[in-house]
Amino acid sequence: MSSREPTGQTPRRPFTPDFLTELFRNPLEPGYAAAAARRAKQPPPRWQTLLFRAVTVVTVLLIGFLLAVAYRQTLAQAPGRAQARSVLVEQIKQRDALTDELQQRADALREEVSRHRDLTLSGFDSTRLKQLEAVTGLGRVRGDGVVVELADAPATVNPVTGEEEVDDLGRVLDRDLQDVANALWSAGAEAIAINGQRLTATSTIRAAGRAIVVDFRPIAGPYEVAAIGPKEMERRFRDSPAARLMRQVATDHGLSFSVRAARNLVLPAAGEPRLRYAQPVPSASPNPSRSGSSASATSPAALPPAFPSTAPSTGLSPLPPSVDPLPSPSEGSR
Amino acid sequence: MISVLALVAGVILGLYFDPTVPPALQPYLPIAVVAALDAVFGGIRAHFDRVFDDKQFVVSFISNVLVAALIVYVGDQLGVGGQLSTGVVVVLGVRIFGNVAAIRRHLFRA
Repeated sequence: MSSREPTGQTPRRPFTPDFLTELFRNPLEPGYAAAAARRAKQPPPRWQTLLFRAVTVVTVLLIGFLLAVAYRQTLAQAPGRAQARSVLVEQIKQRDALTDELQQRADALREEVSRHRDLTLSGFDSTRLKQLEAVTGLGRVRGDGVVVELADAPATVNPVTGEEEVDDLGRVLDRDLQDVANALWSAGAEAIAINGQRLTATSTIRAAGRAIVVDFRPIAGPYEVAAIGPKEMERRFRDSPAARLMRQVATDHGLSFSVRAARNLVLPAAGEPRLRYAQPVPSASPNPSRSGSSASATSPAALPPAFPSTAPSTGLSPLPPSVDPLPSPSEGSR
Repeated sequence: MISVLALVAGVILGLYFDPTVPPALQPYLPIAVVAALDAVFGGIRAHFDRVFDDKQFVVSFISNVLVAALIVYVGDQLGVGGQLSTGVVVVLGVRIFGNVAAIRRHLFRA
């Protein structure tokens, strides 16, 4: 279009401003000017002027009324929104309470099952089973160990928005809890619980948004990682790279990190694990495959024992539910 | 002068009676307020321009509110309600700004 030479044959269009320019330049109703011109030409009768003045007053009254109603309406809607929110919060709390209740019931039933099992099994089998349960996280355990406490950096008030916020670097991340838990395992921990959630071999520590989820149960800070293990575990954990990193982060970004020895820790049992059954691979051949690692894995003698068959040498002692000295929350419901 | 008094009286009446707006009319309230503000500022500007006309003011107010409400209604029926009200708010907002600028020039000579 613009590259075409002006030929002069077409008549030049008069410049007309576009809609928005017109709107900005001339915001007044053109009717006012027209009315003024008409009035100048021929003044309207007196009664007509008075009548319209009265109508104007009524209109302005109406506008004021409208403004007040709109103001009231806006005010009235605000608590409605807050109400919806509080109802949702209430529902969340209710469901949480329900979950806790069901959890307690599951614990009670599990204790009952193990009591019946103890009655049926011989003494040796029952002790061995309890040891296994203690090691795998399926039974409550008591012992001495360490408690690692982590908490987000204190919130600072944003000068612009006035909201309290925590610097992202000063937040405890799921990675931090993972590192601490792994360092504790490698320092010799035999049982670990984060905020009362027992960790097992299949536990997950993940982040969902800003919340940290342990085994699909959200936990909130401050975080308390309790571990039962040998005496030298505390020293080993303090020297671990994870603890060193956390100390560094704590001094740099203000989150709190502390390690203390604790006696007589009681860690709860983890939830019932979902049972998974081994299935034969359809194409499995009786001959060992060529790769060395799987060849050794096929011979049963080379398999490491899944669980230690003897009692752990350290202070980890399983708590048989029948002699549990602690009143568990499920006692009352039974 | 009498118009200002009437406006104040209207606000007081609205606060005093505190009528409940039926839910069906609630979406139109904000748009009606914007349309009313446009008419008010247009009238004030006309007053300073010495071309104020009562009939023009009343008719512009009523037609503004009705057309704005109609657009919102049509938008609602078409399923594009929000966007059409945005159009109304933009156009009326531009006019309010222009009129307030003219009033400012009259009042402060700037």
